[in-house]
Amino acid sequence: MRTALLSDENGTDDEHGSHRFNILVCIDGSKESTRGLRYAVKIGQGNDADITLLYVRPLDKGMKSGVGLARQNMVDWGIELPGMRALKKARDQLFELGFLDGDWKEEDTRKRVYGDPVGDTMKTYTDKNGTHIALKLMIAPNVAAGILDECELNEYDLTILAMHGRGAANVRGKIKWKTTRTVVTEHHGTVLLAREIEENHGHLICVNDEKSIEAARQDAILASRCQCPVFLLSVAETEEQLPEAKEAIVKARNVIEAAGVEVVDAWTDIGDPAEMIIERGKDYSVIVMADSSVKGFRRFFQSSVAYDVLQHAYNSVMIIR
Amino acid sequence: MALFTTRRSRRFRLQGTRNLRSAGFFLREKRWLIFAMVVGVLLHMAPVPDGLTYAGKTVLVISVVAVILFVTEPVPLPAVAFMIVIAQILMLKDVNSKQVAESLMSDSVFFIMGSLMLAVAIVKQKLDKRLAYLIVRMTGTKTLNVAVGIALVSGIMASVIGEHTVAAMMLPVAIILITLTSDDPKKVRGLAAVLLFSIAYGCSIAGIGTPSGGARNAIMIGYWKEFFYEGNEATQQYLVDYVSWVKVCYPVFLAQLPFVIGILFFTFKPEYKHLNRAVVRLRTQVEKEGPMKSSDWIAIMVFFMTLLGWIFFSSTIGLGTIALLGAVAYMVLGLVRWEDLNSGVNWGVVWLYAAAISLGIQMKDTGAALWVADSFIGVLPSGMDSGIGLYASVSALTTIVTNTMSNGAAVAVLGPISLKMAISAGENPLILGYITAISSAFAYLTVIGTPACTIVYASGYLKTTDFLKVGWKMVIMSTLVLLAFAMFYWPAIGL
Repeated sequence: MRTALLSDENGTDDEHGSHRFNILVCIDGSKESTRGLRYAVKIGQGNDADITLLYVRPLDKGMKSGVGLARQNMVDWGIELPGMRALKKARDQLFELGFLDGDWKEEDTRKRVYGDPVGDTMKTYTDKNGTHIALKLMIAPNVAAGILDECELNEYDLTILAMHGRGAANVRGKIKWKTTRTVVTEHHGTVLLAREIEENHGHLICVNDEKSIEAARQDAILASRCQCPVFLLSVAETEEQLPEAKEAIVKARNVIEAAGVEVVDAWTDIGDPAEMIIERGKDYSVIVMADSSVKGFRRFFQSSVAYDVLQHAYNSVMIIR
Repeated sequence: MALFTTRRSRRFRLQGTRNLRSAGFFLREKRWLIFAMVVGVLLHMAPVPDGLTYAGKTVLVISVVAVILFVTEPVPLPAVAFMIVIAQILMLKDVNSKQVAESLMSDSVFFIMGSLMLAVAIVKQKLDKRLAYLIVRMTGTKTLNVAVGIALVSGIMASVIGEHTVAAMMLPVAIILITLTSDDPKKVRGLAAVLLFSIAYGCSIAGIGTPSGGARNAIMIGYWKEFFYEGNEATQQYLVDYVSWVKVCYPVFLAQLPFVIGILFFTFKPEYKHLNRAVVRLRTQVEKEGPMKSSDWIAIMVFFMTLLGWIFFSSTIGLGTIALLGAVAYMVLGLVRWEDLNSGVNWGVVWLYAAAISLGIQMKDTGAALWVADSFIGVLPSGMDSGIGLYASVSALTTIVTNTMSNGAAVAVLGPISLKMAISAGENPLILGYITAISSAFAYLTVIGTPACTIVYASGYLKTTDFLKVGWKMVIMSTLVLLAFAMFYWPAIGL
């Protein structure tokens, strides 16, 4: 599993030669996932990236007799499954945005999994520069498990998930949040939760410790390649912790500027970290945070600032690992 | 991009192992299992209520845990079936594994097994394009007529074979009509909803038309025989045959049909009043199939022989035996391969029904069903504990339960209670049995309510909220029609 968003400034992979930036965009047919895709293109075009579009269809379990038969029947009639319709719509958007250069080659693959005759389906498009778009219609016990399987198998540098509204704001929000929380908690790589994402408002990078400073460096490089301005924020819970917060800002600014990226502005605030970050983060494209230190079993009982922000923020949040 | 193909073996290894990777993930995923077990332990430790035996309380504890697991599905449902079997053997002192094993197999379970195999065999004949042709020839191009045609054909077929078979066959017909009308799903939202719900609700209201229309009917017939038939002339009425059931229930289906179409048009208001272009193109597409082949005629003949077998011989050799005979005939004649049946049938469903019926029998034997029935009647307000009030109460209870689990499982769980309630209230167990079986079809509110609802939802054209938007109207309409039949028609035919 990849441990850093970018292995070095040039984005190369030493062991296997040139490494292309690999972005996974989870598609569910919603407007939010379309906006997430546009942002993926923005990042991808600056970072020589391949994009994989993933639609996960939950396995027909329980009493769902006949759904498999119906689906097989639809395929026999030449009707596209709903997931593939959503993926092709997203693909057309990528073509319109000029993600692929000139002509491209197509390849189809289908594999039976979980005993489902329709199984996993993939279409790939490769242009003359070797840039790929892959459309994957995958089946899994549930949506979260499918996304995690895909991330574990193919080591993406960035996974983009779309979400409408704040997690747990209403019943619908709670259902969506369940999937998002599972993916973000179990994922070993970087995740961007795209929520009403708008381009060109910059990345607000939150720093407080060494780990977050390294994450800030990685994101600053990524942001600069797609012309996104970078801002820094550190929050102290009390007046006494303010010097530490200021020190974190200074360190982060030094590291980022040493990487050749300009920091447009930086702030230190006092208060509840999650609330302050959510409030100040409203005006930016993405709030960027390092992964929480709360791991595994403890996460079941204990929340963290990163997860509070992820759940309650008004806009997009990226968790860097 | 060869990753997709070269890493298949790893994908297989990942299947099912994720739960073990993280304790937090495991606890989150299995929280309903933990909840069900905690509830089970607490209920088991509670004192035995007045009027209930220890064995009866144990059966109720198993039932409560099983219902929580049916609804929340934290473990695969066949695992719940085996848990019910194991719990009966380990927790009930007077029951051994031989007795539980015997209670798992009955004609109802044979019927469920046979009808699931028949479903796959019929779908494999690819007669759906012929059906599509029949519908569009019959209905013309007016949207209203097409919807009526789809609902009527779906209903007539679903009244004799499993609704999931019919929905699986009809789904491509509706989707082709929708996509040929417009490529943009937003422009045909209303039309898609009308055509797809015509299939789903056409199947739902018709599934109760004949005993072979669904597992729930076979289960109720099995319960009447198990609970009341004593091998003498006086209890002969509880051996309900195919024709008797049809006389009572088929008119209920036919009466609902115009209301269903009215509700769908009123709720979704299709964007197109005529489907000229789509119907013409569909006709061209299905005409390419050419004339019927001899194998098509043989497949249809086998189906009609099975239907005749149900009508004339089900009271002597059982619905299940005839269903199995039909499935075997398809295999013997080479119309379907065993491999297709094996992969197409959800065998877990068979185990689930078998376990639920076995638990239902234990509820009767231990007195748990009677105790629940008495308690339910005890809490009903005055006027609701007999006659039409009781019918409405039982129908409401069944509607609530069936919207959270499959209708067959709902009848398996509630059947014993309804029948005992009839005894306690001095009502006819046949009437309350019919009300329970028919009300179990009122699962209009959720995607998972019936297989037909799940299938049309899988088309991708419907939202979960669409089911609520139209479902509550359907529940009210179906309940009123059912109560009207219970008050006027059933007494008129001597029930």
